[in-house]
Amino acid sequence: MSTVSYVVFLFESVSAVLVAEKALKDMGITCKLIPVPKQLSSDCGVCIRVESDDQLRVEQALADKVKVLAIHPLS
Amino acid sequence: MAYTVDARGLSCPQPVLLARKALEKNDEVVILVDDNTAAENVKRLAANMGFIVDEELKGGETHIRINKGGACSLAQEVISRQGPVVVVLSCDTMGRGEEVLGGVLMKSFLHTLTQTTPMPDIMILFNTGVRLAVKGSEVLDDLDALMKAGVKILACGTCLNYLSLKEKLAIGEVSNMYDIAQTMLTAGRIVQV
Repeated sequence: MSTVSYVVFLFESVSAVLVAEKALKDMGITCKLIPVPKQLSSDCGVCIRVESDDQLRVEQALADKVKVLAIHPLS
Repeated sequence: MAYTVDARGLSCPQPVLLARKALEKNDEVVILVDDNTAAENVKRLAANMGFIVDEELKGGETHIRINKGGACSLAQEVISRQGPVVVVLSCDTMGRGEEVLGGVLMKSFLHTLTQTTPMPDIMILFNTGVRLAVKGSEVLDDLDALMKAGVKILACGTCLNYLSLKEKLAIGEVSNMYDIAQTMLTAGRIVQV
């Protein structure tokens, strides 16, 4: 059984995270709001986790909706 | 009435062991020792347990009087702290005042629980907290992970009933006020968010 690999999208604020979460849900893209991993850091403390395979789709979905600060693989 | 332990002529660890045994069953114990080290060790034992210690020197002997006094409740507290760790979720959001923020915090908290040790032993959900465990909840995967790791999840039946969610419970067992009250009272520690 293969394990899924994830990436996390970081945003500027909690409200930005929520905008992103809603946008992805509306498009049917699986995502999860999680605390920012300890090795990364972000003012707002939460981020969006998606499957690595979906990274491009997510970037496109968010392009005109909310500014993405950074994208990192989840170890 | 004080219970007397004659530990004269005995060397460590005998006096300490006899003292500890006597203290299990008696609230007031007098220990007679004629060895300085034994005297020190007995006094330290009693002090560590939070008891009141008095000593009297008689010739070459030390008479140590130990009184449990009000410190008995301290010992009780230490014992009960060994009970299960219980997390109580009385709401589907964390904190009051900002609903949206509360939702974010609760999701964050539950996800973090799956990655933190020690994990709670039991989680109790009541009032809107039960919403977290029903079909459609966004935190089902985290609750599932917790259950698989051995955490027992109890959802209040009255609350499920009131909110018309009984058939929708997806994770955990339906519980009642007796079990919930009992669980909280016998908990070693309660974490309520």
